[in-house]
Amino acid sequence: MKELIALTVNDQEYEVAVTPNQTLLDVIRYQLELTGTKKGCELGDCGSCTVIMDGKPVNSCLVLAMQAAGKNIKTIEGLETEQGLHPIQKAFVEKQGVQCGFCTSGMILSAKNLLDKNASPTDGDIRKALSGNLCRCTGYQKIIESVQAASEEMSK
Amino acid sequence: MLLPKFKFHEPKTEEEACQILTEYGEKAKPIAGGTDLVVNMKKKLLSPEHVVSLSRIGSLKGLEKENGFVKIGACFTVADMIEAKDIKENVSALSASAGALGSPLVRNLATVGGNIGSARPAADLPPSLMAYGATLILKSSHGERNVGIDNFFKGPGATACGVDEFISEIQVQTPPAGAGAGYLNLGARKAQDCNIVNVASFIALDGSGVIETARVILGCVGPIQVRARAAEKILVGEKPAQTLFEKAAEATKTDCLPITDFRGSGGYKLAMVGVLTQRTLKIALGEAKKNT
Repeated sequence: MKELIALTVNDQEYEVAVTPNQTLLDVIRYQLELTGTKKGCELGDCGSCTVIMDGKPVNSCLVLAMQAAGKNIKTIEGLETEQGLHPIQKAFVEKQGVQCGFCTSGMILSAKNLLDKNASPTDGDIRKALSGNLCRCTGYQKIIESVQAASEEMSK
Repeated sequence: MLLPKFKFHEPKTEEEACQILTEYGEKAKPIAGGTDLVVNMKKKLLSPEHVVSLSRIGSLKGLEKENGFVKIGACFTVADMIEAKDIKENVSALSASAGALGSPLVRNLATVGGNIGSARPAADLPPSLMAYGATLILKSSHGERNVGIDNFFKGPGATACGVDEFISEIQVQTPPAGAGAGYLNLGARKAQDCNIVNVASFIALDGSGVIETARVILGCVGPIQVRARAAEKILVGEKPAQTLFEKAAEATKTDCLPITDFRGSGGYKLAMVGVLTQRTLKIALGEAKKNT
């Protein structure tokens, strides 16, 4: 039996009919068609499905859609504004923090949560904050550099 | 990866949750953060007909310090446990355990009640909770009862919690003056891994600096967390010293019989239990000395 839930995604309110066995990730990708949020391991290990829910980055593959009712969700699509890409997105492009791109949305959202709380993080802070997001391409160095560059840009 | 079908319930109060669990009994499973249950359901290891979410019950999310106890609501998240002042300042080993669990993303969902209730032998929170001698409050439509965490775990995934009960609160006694605890875990990586071995130690010193009480808890080396009784016996009645801690560490080898699996050989785990015992005792001593 489907049930209507209301949730806010990227400052837009949605009403979606969901079944109990749907995850938040399913709703975001298949019903709201926001496919920037990636489906990787589906078991909470890889972090490619990261979204920010009520101010905290979480694995959306582990959240039941019905548990997300009434929540405020930010996905990667919610970062760009009329002024252009978010400074973290820009830094990932400029510092080549992206290779295949599959982990990037999650990396950027975890980094955003870090920089919102700590404007000038150390290398260690960044590695810790991104430790739930796995990248199989870059060896992480370029990603760390991208976040570092973004923090400098945002502190200006 | 599809989730099996189930009916979803979202009680707003503890009473309502009790009613639903009484009605559906073993066909129902409570869910909080979902970081364990959802994974097991996706893997088809579990497929409850009814899933009862406790996450809209405000009274399960509190944290307070009262009469020498830190009282943590079962739905308090693991991420919040790392930073919560009451936990960090009074029961630091618990805050360290919270920091060792999963990844930042998992910690934002996972709850203290869930980590206890899922009863995994390698779980991060149980050893320190046992070291502090925590008490669990279980609720059902018959009322509530207190269960010491030492008597709670019955096997991997099995606990003293009845099918119509849920954990509502965890009460941790703040260590008295001269007492403290430490927690350490060993994994293959620094984050996002399952522990190979984890240990929590608690010691309480009397006025003359002699160890009055000692509790050493070993994780990942049996179907449930193991009290290292032989090690504890060596510690009690002695003055803390490196040589004493080494003796206690050696004694843990008679306290457990870890299995060989893909995470490590039994012999390796046994050796590491000793190392972590020694190191956590050192941390516990430091905390005990700070706590005057």
